[in-house]
Amino acid sequence: MATPLQVFSREFGYVLLEHKGEGKFVLGSDPPSWFNELWGATQPADVPIPLAAMSPFLENFLVEAQTCWSSSQTAECRSEVWIESTPAGREVPLQATALLRDGQQMLVLHSPEAQYRERVQILQTARNAVLEHEKLLQEIQKKEILLHCIIHDLSQPLSAMRGSFDCLSAFTESEEGQKIIALGKMATQQQESMIREIIQVFAADLRATMDMEKGVNHAPDLLVCARNAITSFSPAFAAKRVNLILDPQIDQHAHWHVQGEESRLRRVFTNLLENALRYSFEGGNVTVGLESDGDFRKAFIDDEGPGLPPELRPAQLFALFSKGKEGGGKAGLGLYFCRTTVERWGGSISCTSLPEIGSRFWFRLPQAAAPAEGEAPPDELLSTVADPGPAVKGRRAMRILFAEDQEDIRTLTTYQLERSGHHVHAVCNGREALSALLHQHFDVILLDEEMPATGGVQVAHTIRENEARAGSHAFLIALTGNSTEDDEARLRREGFDAVLGKPFRLEALAEILDAASSTLPRRSAPKKPPAAISAGIDDLLGRIGGDRKLLNKMIQTFLHDTPKRIASLQKALHRKDADEVASLAHALKGSLGIFLAQHARDRAQELEELGRKSELGGAASVYAALQEEIAKLEENLRGYAKQTQAQPRSTVSKQTQRLAGKRKKQ
Amino acid sequence: MLGAFAVGKTSLVRRYVESIYSDAYHTTVGVKISNKVVQVNNTEVKLVLWDVYGEDDFQRMSWKYLEGAFGYLLVADGTRPATLDKALALEQKARVEVGALPFVFVVNKCDLVNDWQFDATLEAQLAAKNWSILRSSAKTGEGVEEAFARLTEAMLR
Repeated sequence: MATPLQVFSREFGYVLLEHKGEGKFVLGSDPPSWFNELWGATQPADVPIPLAAMSPFLENFLVEAQTCWSSSQTAECRSEVWIESTPAGREVPLQATALLRDGQQMLVLHSPEAQYRERVQILQTARNAVLEHEKLLQEIQKKEILLHCIIHDLSQPLSAMRGSFDCLSAFTESEEGQKIIALGKMATQQQESMIREIIQVFAADLRATMDMEKGVNHAPDLLVCARNAITSFSPAFAAKRVNLILDPQIDQHAHWHVQGEESRLRRVFTNLLENALRYSFEGGNVTVGLESDGDFRKAFIDDEGPGLPPELRPAQLFALFSKGKEGGGKAGLGLYFCRTTVERWGGSISCTSLPEIGSRFWFRLPQAAAPAEGEAPPDELLSTVADPGPAVKGRRAMRILFAEDQEDIRTLTTYQLERSGHHVHAVCNGREALSALLHQHFDVILLDEEMPATGGVQVAHTIRENEARAGSHAFLIALTGNSTEDDEARLRREGFDAVLGKPFRLEALAEILDAASSTLPRRSAPKKPPAAISAGIDDLLGRIGGDRKLLNKMIQTFLHDTPKRIASLQKALHRKDADEVASLAHALKGSLGIFLAQHARDRAQELEELGRKSELGGAASVYAALQEEIAKLEENLRGYAKQTQAQPRSTVSKQTQRLAGKRKKQ
Repeated sequence: MLGAFAVGKTSLVRRYVESIYSDAYHTTVGVKISNKVVQVNNTEVKLVLWDVYGEDDFQRMSWKYLEGAFGYLLVADGTRPATLDKALALEQKARVEVGALPFVFVVNKCDLVNDWQFDATLEAQLAAKNWSILRSSAKTGEGVEEAFARLTEAMLR
C-alpha cells in the first residue's frame, strides 16, 4: 500500500531518496519513469543506488548537500537545473533538493520539464534578439566606418580645389573667366556643406540625439530652392544630354515659403535631382514642379527613366543605406537624408512610377509665413558668385607655423595666408613643426591632426608642456577631417584653441586668425615687401594682385625649372623625338607666357608646331633663338630678384597699383 | 566550458565528443555534462566536460560548478568583441573564485573570416601573459581536438 507521499511523488514526477553515505541512496518513493530511463530499472527499496557515481553533477552537489545534512537543525538546499541524457539521447532536466528531516538525510529529485522548456524558450528568444541587435550594430558600425572613410576621402581634395580656384581667380582678368571660377567655387562650397552635414547628421543620428528643431524657422522659398538647384545642376544634365526643366505650370506669384532650412532644403532637391539624373536616358526630360497641397507645399521631380521596380516599396528606397535599383546610388544615403530631413520639418516624402514612363519623387512641407520685409535674405546659392575673395585690409600680420602633410593643401593654404599678409613657415609633419619651434617663435600654430610620424595632437601636447614651463601661450588651431562636435570638443581638450574641419573655407580660417590676433600682444607691423622695377614685371605683378611674394616664388620656380626643360628639349631634338619636343615646347610656352616674354614664347610655339608636324629639320635654329631669348629673360628676372631685396613698397608703380586695385574690385 | 552566451561552447563539446555540428543556435539552460575518454601518453584519461550555460544579463553563472574542476576551456566568439571582453572578465573571476586553474583560451568561429574581429595585438598581449590561445571552429572542427588535448595535458601536469 503506497503512502500519500509516495503517491504524490509519483504523480508529480518527484523521487524521494535517503542518503546512506558515500553517495549511495535508497528509494523512499516509487520513482517516476524518467528515473528509470536515466539510471535503470527500479531497484528493490533496500538496495543502495550509487547515484553520485552515476551523475557527476550530483556528486558535485553532494558537497553542498553534505553541509545541509550536517546541520543541527532542519535545513534544505537546492541545486540549479542540470541536464542528464538517457541512453536513448533524450535530455532530462533535473533539479535536486537536499533535506534534513528528523535527522534523516533526504534527497528529492525532480524533473521540472515544463518550466525548463518555458525558460529555454524565453531565453532563446531573448538571446536571439540580443544576437540580432549585436549583428545590426556591427553592420551599422561597418557602414559608419566606410561612410567616414568615403567622406574623409571626398573632402580631402576640396581644400585643394578651393585653393586652386582662388589662385585661378588671381590670374584671371576676364569677367567670363571669373564667372566660371565663381561657379567652381560655388560647387566646392556646396559639396563641402553636404559633406559636413553628412558627418554631423550621421553622428547625431547614430547617437539618436539629433537636434530636431535645428533650423526650422528660416522659412525658405521652395521656388527659389528649385531654381537654384536647376541652375546648379544644369551642367551635369547637359553633359548627359538630359533636359532639366522647371515646370511652366508653377504659379510664380504664389507664396512658396515652407518650414525648413535653406541649405538642407537645397540638398533635398540636389539629392532628388541626382537620383533623377542617374536613371535618365540621353534625350530624356527631368521636370521640377511645385504645387499647393492644402496647408502644405509640394515639390516633385519627374524623370523619364525606367520607373520603380514593382516589388520595391517607396519606404525601402528611403531607408538607410538602401541602394534602390541595381546599378543605382552610391552609398544609399541620399534619399535617406531627404526623408529624415523632410520628416523632421513635419513633411513627408515618397515616390511612385508614372503611368506611362518614368517615376515621380515628391516631398511636401508645411507652408510657412514669408520672412518679413527687411529680414536678411536666405543664403542663396547665387550669392556666392560675387565672392570678394580673402580680405587683407585691416588684418594683423602674424607669424604662423603650418604643419600639413598634404602637399596641395599645404601649398595653397600657405599661398592664401601669405596673400593675407601673414608670415608662414610651412612644414610637412609634426616632427618638423617641433623642430621649427626650437628656432623660432610663432603667434599661431596650425596643425593637421593626422600626419605621419608625429600627429597634430602629439605636437600640441609637447607645445603645451613646454609652455607650462615657460609661461607662454601660442594660439593652436587643429585642422581635422573629423569635424563632428565631439571631435571639436576632443581636440579642444587636447589643448587646441580652435578647430577647423577640412575642407575649410579661407574665410573660416581668417575668422579664427582674427580671434587669435586679438589675443596677441601689440607689436610693430612687419616690413613691407619691395617693389618691381620693370614695366613688364609690373604688369605681371598687377595681374597677380600685387602679390610680390607670389611673384618671387614664380620667378624662383621659373629659374629653377627652365634650365632643366631646355636641357630636356635639347636631348629630345638630338633624339629626333618629335612628340617629346612638342610636349616640352608646349610646357615652356606656358611658362614664358606667364612672364609676358612674347619673343621667347613665339619661338617655343614654333618648336611645338614643328614637333607636332614631326618636321624637326629647321628646329635647331628655332631652338637656338629660343635659348637666346630665355637667357635674356632669366637675366632680367635675376636682376629683378636682386633689386627687390631692398626696395620699399611705396615705390610700386602706379600701373601696378591700378591693376591690383582692379583685381580687388573684381 | 566558460564563456559568454552563443560563443559555441556546446557546439565545441558536441564536435569533440560526438563529432556533430549544427548551425542552429540552441541556448543552454543549466548544465550539461559529457564524458570522453582520451589517451594521453599511453594513459587513459576520462574527461568530464561541464558545459555551463553562458553568462549574460539573463543568467548569472554559479561558480560552484568550478569547484573540483581540474581546468577549463575559456571560449570567446572571434566575431563578437564583447565576448572577448567577457572571457577576460571570466578568467579574472575564476582566478578569484577557484584559484589559478589550467585553462586554454579558445577563440571560436574562425571559419567566419570576413567578420573576424580578434585582433593580433590582443592575441600577442595575452600570449605575452603565457595564455594558451588557439583559434577554433566547431563548424569545421579546426582547433577543436587540439584545444581539448592542450587542456588535458595542462591538467595532467
